[in-house]
Amino acid sequence: MQEATFMILTALANGAQHGYGIITDVQEISGDRVRLRPGTLYTALDRLCADELIAVDREEVVEGRLRRYYRLTPAGSERLGAEAARLQAHATAALTRLNLSGGMAT
Amino acid sequence: MTDETNLERRYRRLLVWYPRAFRRENGQEILDVLMACARPGQSRPGPAASADLITSGLWMRLRPRLPRSAPAVRAAVRLMYAGAAVTALSLIMATISLASIGRRAATLRVAGRNQPFPVALTVGIGLGLVMIALWLWMARASSEGRHWARIVSTVLFGLATLYLVGSRGVAQVVFAVVVWLVGLGAVWLLWRPTSSVFFQAQDVTQVGPRP
Repeated sequence: MQEATFMILTALANGAQHGYGIITDVQEISGDRVRLRPGTLYTALDRLCADELIAVDREEVVEGRLRRYYRLTPAGSERLGAEAARLQAHATAALTRLNLSGGMAT
Repeated sequence: MTDETNLERRYRRLLVWYPRAFRRENGQEILDVLMACARPGQSRPGPAASADLITSGLWMRLRPRLPRSAPAVRAAVRLMYAGAAVTALSLIMATISLASIGRRAATLRVAGRNQPFPVALTVGIGLGLVMIALWLWMARASSEGRHWARIVSTVLFGLATLYLVGSRGVAQVVFAVVVWLVGLGAVWLLWRPTSSVFFQAQDVTQVGPRP
């Protein structure tokens, strides 16, 4: 899974959000390291909708402008959970080895 | 204020790289997000933002949007892109070999008759380009769920069978066989039961009233 995809799914994990909300949320989650560009974001959203990992939750009109809210589907939650577990296993392995070789003090 | 409208207009121009249907659906929203992300007083899109819009738009045009529930259509569309790639490859190879033959032979047999070399080369390249265009057209129409795409693809496959029977020379036969097999695979996939469900569902949404 690409990092952008992982971050978008994570942003949607605790509730529906619209495009701009996802961008600011991902920026916050990643500590300002990942800044999604709108082109990339909407291409990814379209792809994720087609893959049925996310779905359009609702549409709202704010100041005359349409805002589409996206939410995770059950399949999307499952995929994100599996990917997070995989990354966690890798991170744990790395930290354990660093610890064993004296690279990390606990 | 004029800065903002200038920026908006420039962003809007970059959105033409996206497929029209996608633009109609999401264009204004992307534009709003782009404007929300803009720095105060910014009057033109930055190079990175422009590159992102262009590559994302092209990527969407090249990668068909197909639901997971239609794996056979996805596979068929991939095969059609492979067919286009094989045709392009053989066109390049044929052009190179024709160009080297051209130094020795004044006439060539193309499309069933002997022709002066420049005519033969033009006809050969033209036919190749038409074939590539047909592959891409069918891939696109199928991914959009056009019901006629299945029928036209099947007819074109029939023509490919005739081409296979009529081809001579090792290279031409090998190419014709590969193209025929790719076509066979694609047509077979297009007529799978899951594909029929996909095409029927798309047909309903296309016939229905547009918002």
